[in-house]
Amino acid sequence: MRRIPARVFGASLSRRNFLRAGGVLAVGLGAVGLEVAHTHAAGPTVPGNSLDPTLPSSWIEIHPDNTVLMRTGKSDFGQGTVYTAYRQIVAEELSVPFEAITTVVQGDTDRTPDGSGAFDFLGSGMPNIRKAAAYTYQALLGLASDHLGVPKDKLTVTDGVVSGGGKSISYGDLVKDQQLKLTIPVSGDLTGIGGLSVEGNPPMKQVSEYKIIGKSFQNSVTRSKVTAKETWVTDVRLPGMLHGRVLHPKTLGSKLISAGALDKTKFPTAQLIVKGNLVAVVSPSEWEAIQAAEAVAGSTQWTEWKGLPGNADLFRHLRDDMDWKSTPVTKAPTNKGNVEAALRSARKKLSATYQLSYMKHAPIGPSMAVADVSPDGMVHVHTHTQNPQQLRAEIAMMLKSTPDHVVVHTYSGPGHYGRSNGGNAGAEDEAVLLSQATGKPVRVQWMRADDMQWSTQSPAAFSDVQLAIDDNGKLAAYQIDHYMPAMQDDRLVGAVLAGLPTQPAPYVVADSIASTSNDLQDPWTYPTTPNLLEHGHGTFQVGQQASPTAIGLRDHSMRTPGQFQQNYPRELAISEAAALAGADAIQFRIDHSTDERAIGVLKAVREASGWQTHPSPQPAASATGSATVTGRGVALMFRSQTWWACVAEVSVTPSTGVIVVDKVTVAVDPGIVINPQQLKRQIQGGTVMGIGIALMEEVAFDQSSVTTDDWIAYPIPSMADLPEINVVLVHNPKVGTYGAGSEAANALAAPAIAAAFHDATGKNIRRLPMKPAYVQAVLSS
Amino acid sequence: MATITVNGVRHEVHAPGDTPLLYILRNELLLTGPQFGCGLAQCGACSVLIDGKETRSCAVALSDITPKQEITTLEGLSARWSEQMHLPAEEAKTTLHPVQQAWIDEQTPQCGFCQNGMMIKATELLESNPKPTVAQIKAAFTTSGPSPNVCRCGTYTAIIEAVQHAGQLMVEGK
Repeated sequence: MRRIPARVFGASLSRRNFLRAGGVLAVGLGAVGLEVAHTHAAGPTVPGNSLDPTLPSSWIEIHPDNTVLMRTGKSDFGQGTVYTAYRQIVAEELSVPFEAITTVVQGDTDRTPDGSGAFDFLGSGMPNIRKAAAYTYQALLGLASDHLGVPKDKLTVTDGVVSGGGKSISYGDLVKDQQLKLTIPVSGDLTGIGGLSVEGNPPMKQVSEYKIIGKSFQNSVTRSKVTAKETWVTDVRLPGMLHGRVLHPKTLGSKLISAGALDKTKFPTAQLIVKGNLVAVVSPSEWEAIQAAEAVAGSTQWTEWKGLPGNADLFRHLRDDMDWKSTPVTKAPTNKGNVEAALRSARKKLSATYQLSYMKHAPIGPSMAVADVSPDGMVHVHTHTQNPQQLRAEIAMMLKSTPDHVVVHTYSGPGHYGRSNGGNAGAEDEAVLLSQATGKPVRVQWMRADDMQWSTQSPAAFSDVQLAIDDNGKLAAYQIDHYMPAMQDDRLVGAVLAGLPTQPAPYVVADSIASTSNDLQDPWTYPTTPNLLEHGHGTFQVGQQASPTAIGLRDHSMRTPGQFQQNYPRELAISEAAALAGADAIQFRIDHSTDERAIGVLKAVREASGWQTHPSPQPAASATGSATVTGRGVALMFRSQTWWACVAEVSVTPSTGVIVVDKVTVAVDPGIVINPQQLKRQIQGGTVMGIGIALMEEVAFDQSSVTTDDWIAYPIPSMADLPEINVVLVHNPKVGTYGAGSEAANALAAPAIAAAFHDATGKNIRRLPMKPAYVQAVLSS
Repeated sequence: MATITVNGVRHEVHAPGDTPLLYILRNELLLTGPQFGCGLAQCGACSVLIDGKETRSCAVALSDITPKQEITTLEGLSARWSEQMHLPAEEAKTTLHPVQQAWIDEQTPQCGFCQNGMMIKATELLESNPKPTVAQIKAAFTTSGPSPNVCRCGTYTAIIEAVQHAGQLMVEGK
C-alpha cells in the first residue's frame, strides 16, 4: 500500500479500498463552503446530480490509456471556448498534449459539476477548470514522487510522462488499477447565476513555460456541425413525442377571454391545451400542429391592452413617464472632485443626450426545447440554455418541486447572445407544462414571430452628459447620468402566462439580479480627469407595471450587457470632447490615459488602421449633397481585464442618409492570448453584430405589441454590410491573466461609427440605430 | 403520397401535399442538416440544393416536387462531390466536400446554426464559379436567393475566406 499525500494545497487525495477495472483519478467536489441547501446529507454532492454520491461528480478524469476527460457546467454557445481554450488550459496545467483530452462534457445538470452561465468563460483568468487541473497536476506529482521515490521538486513532466532520478512513469500508469479520488474545495450556489467556484490557490504553470496556450487549436465540434453529424437540440426526438405550438397572447398585456375551437375534422390528431393564459396546440405531426395553431389563433379571444408608449414616443416616455425615483441611484467608485464648479467656470462645455433603442438577441433559430415529465414528477428538459443549473431551479419553482426533480440536458443550438442565462428563453417551461398536461414528451418550437415578439430584448437606454474642456484642451469635468430599465428579467414566460410561480418581476431590491438598479458597468478609463461624476438611474421595465400579467417589454442581458449601454454614450461623448478641444480623438484619449495597456491598444489601433491624425471633423467634411464623404472614429473599452480599441471608417452619402462601414480595425489586449484564431473569429463576428446595432437594429412596438416580427421588419447585417475587418491581437503575457469578454467586440463599433460620422459630416449623431431617415434628419438640422 | 429523391435515394413519403419540404426532411427522413430558422424563406438556415439550386426548404411544398428533381442536403454534400470527381468507393467514404473541409480549416462556424445554408449556398456558387471574387461571393450570399443568407454570429469574414479556400480545393480536385 503506497502512501498517499493527504493534503495538497487545500485538496485532499484518497485511495478507495477497491479496484475498478482500469482505474481512474477523478477530481471531485468537496463540500467546503458549499451552501447548506445544496449539500447532500449523504456526502459531498449536490441534489439532483445523478452522479453516485459516493463517487463525487468529476471535473477531470485521468485514464489508464493516458486520455483525459474534462467536465464543465458551462454550455457552449458557439464561442467554442470549452472545446478550445478550456482544453488548452487543462492540457497546459496537466502537462499533457492538447489531443490527450479526448472528451469534453459540458452543460448537462447531471453530468457536470459547477453550474453558472455561458458568460465570462475565462473568469479573469481563473476558470474553475484551471484550478481543478492545477490540483490534479499536484496530486499526480505526489503520486509520481511516491512511485519513483524522487522528491516532487526534482520531477519534470512532459506530455503526461513524469521523469526524475533517471526513471519515468506515465500518468496512465500512475492511475492504473486504482480508484483515486481527489477532493477539492468549492463554494457557491450551484443553481445561482454564478454557480460554484473552486477555492484555494494551487500552484499554476508559469506563463513562460506555456507550450499549448497561445496556439490556434481547432474547435473539435466544427467537424460534426459541418458534416451534419452533430445532435442539435432541434434533432432531439423522444418516443411518443408531440409537437407543440403556443398561441401567445394578442398583446403583451392580454388575458385570455376564450380559446378558439379546434376543428377535429381538419386536425384529427391535434389537441388544444389551455392553462391560464397559456394556450397551445399539440400534435404528433409538426405540420398539423402549426396549421391547427394558426386556425385556433384566428378564433381565440384576448382582452385588449395598450400599456406601451409606442416606439416613436419611447425616449420621451422613458425620461418623463418612468419612475426613476424609487430605485437608489448608483455611483461610480471613481467619482471625484467638484464637477458642478468645474462646469460653471469652464468656457468650453458640452451638454448632450445619447439614446439607444431596444434591440433583439435575435438568434437564427427561435426558442425550442423538448420536455418529458414523468408521472413520478421527474422532469427532463432537452434544450440549449446558457445556464442549465439555473434553468433547473426555475423549472422546479414553477412546478413547486425541487431542483433534484429536474434534469437539464444541453445540446448545440443557435447562439442566444445572453438571453437564456436565467432560463427565460421561453420554450423550455412551455414544453414542461405541455408535457405535464399530456403525459407525453413535448417538443415546443417557437415560430419566428413568437421569438421576435415574445422573447426578451436588450433594454433601451439614454444618458445625459455634461463635460468641460479646460484652457489646455484637457477634460476638466465629466458627468454622465445613465438611465436604463431593468435588464435581467429571469421569469419563465410560460409560467407567467399559466399563472404559476416564477422569480419576481424586476423590483426595487438591493444586491439581486432581479433589481431595477442600474449598476455602473463601464469602468472609467481617463483617470487624469480631475472632476468626475457617473450615476446609474434604474427603473422598472417599460409596460411591466401597466400590464395585468406584469409582462410588458421584458429585458435580458445581451452581449456586453449594461456596459454597452454605458460605453456607447461615454465614448461618443469623449470623441465629441476631443473635437471641442480641437484635438485628435486618439491622441486625446492617450493624453487622458495612464494605463500603459490602454495606451498600447490605442497606439496599436492607430497604427494598424492607418489613422490620419487630425481633429474632427475632417477638412472635407460635408453634411449635404450626393457626393460620398468619409470619416473615421475611435472607441475604447476596458472589460473583464481586457483592453479594447476600435477604429471605424465610414462613407456617408448625405442626400440619402446612408452610412456604409468600409473598414473596422480592432486592437485587443487580453493579457495572455490563449487561441489566436478562435479569438480573431469571435472578434470578427462581434464586429458584424456591432454594425447591426449601430446602423439597423431597432425593436419597433405600438401600444400593445412588438411589431417587428420577422427578418424583414428586424433586419440584421448580411454579407453586404460586411466591412474589411482587421483584428490586432496584442499578446501581453506579463499581465499574467487570460482576459475575457470577446463579446465586447460587438459594443465597440457603434460609438466609433458615430464618431466617424461626425468626422465625415461635421454633425453629431447621438441615437442608435443610425438609419437613413434619422441620419437625414440629423444632417439637415 | 409523394415520391422524392434526396441524396440519390428515392423515398415514398406519406404526408399532406402542402407540407413544407423542411418538415419532410427533418421529421420523416431524419435528415436534420437543414434547420428551421424562420419558415418564411428569409434566412437560409433550411436551405437544400434542388437540381443544384439553393432552395429554402421551408417554403417549398411537398406537392411541388417531382420525383426527378435531385434534392441534396448537407448530409449528401460529400457524396455529391465524390460522384462529381468519380472517386473510388473507399476514398469516397472518407472524403468531405471541399466546402465542408474549408469550413473546418477556416474554423468558420461560431454557433453554426445557419451554416447549413451557408455551405449549400457556397456549393451552388462554386459549382458554377470555382474562383469567385469577393464581390461575387457577396452577391451570391445576399442577392441571388429569396433573401440574404443571414448569420447572427456574424461569421461573414470567415465564410468568404472559406468559400475562396473551398474553391481552391475544388480546382485542385481535392
